[in-house]
Amino acid sequence: MSSMNIGGSQLDASWFLLLSAVLFGLGAVGVLVRRNPLVILISIELMLNAANLTLVTFARQLQNLEGQLFALMSMTVAAAEAVVGLAILVDIFHTRDVEDVDDLSELKG
Amino acid sequence: MALAVFFVAAAMAVLGGIGVVAFHQPIRSVLSLVVVMLALSILYLLLSAQFVFAVQIIVYAGAVMVLFLFVIALLGPARELGRGRLRFQGWLSGLFVVVLLGLMWAMLQGVQYRQPDKTDLSFFGTVQSIAVGLFTTYLYPFELTSILLLVAAIGAIYLSRKRIDDPEGGPAEGLRPAAGMGGNLPPSEK
Repeated sequence: MSSMNIGGSQLDASWFLLLSAVLFGLGAVGVLVRRNPLVILISIELMLNAANLTLVTFARQLQNLEGQLFALMSMTVAAAEAVVGLAILVDIFHTRDVEDVDDLSELKG
Repeated sequence: MALAVFFVAAAMAVLGGIGVVAFHQPIRSVLSLVVVMLALSILYLLLSAQFVFAVQIIVYAGAVMVLFLFVIALLGPARELGRGRLRFQGWLSGLFVVVLLGLMWAMLQGVQYRQPDKTDLSFFGTVQSIAVGLFTTYLYPFELTSILLLVAAIGAIYLSRKRIDDPEGGPAEGLRPAAGMGGNLPPSEK
């Protein structure tokens, strides 16, 4: 039911979805465990890529192009997010000596 | 054949993802993420998404990752000392991810997909078909994306501008909480 004929062999859509879930989980672990703000941004990029894989998989499974179009939109959003996030990081690193995201607690009440 | 390609690309992606989390130096994390993105682009090609494949390599592996590398080169080798501050969060995040994967696996067991649309697969995912969708049905979101990019560019320029009251362009005397007024008052007002 869910298998796709790709290049003569049957691939199951759930394999792609499971791979995407694994990548998303790795990204979530990176965000939760790593303390360097730069690595946290990189892990967020990993999670966005996993979501893109899900979109493209469903586009192929349902043979509907809208998933791929939405993946392109999400790539644009990811690029904008990376640009603004890195600009904020560079500004923070220029202003003070930060080793850890926990050092950035000025807004804590 | 496609089966072998899938498993090689999936293994590359998972190993790269582990590398992103496990490497201590940020530059190695970035290079691992490049591996993940190249593996994902192979998977996009398997899923007959040629245009997304090209954009993935050019925009992501090309532009965004180079941006990350530039920032790392700018900031110098960052050291990460604070892992000792985490007491139980590491285990908690592992538990969270295992629960997430278990839920996903359980959900995929009984999933029923709807009947696929009847599309010409030789045309599916090409530049032409993407362009037809992007410039007819989704023209409005596409134009909104350009506004998003403009806002991001202006924001990045604003954040990385040189402070007018600071001839060095960097921190002159330590922390400067007084710069909360926007930080760029002209010298005559000081």
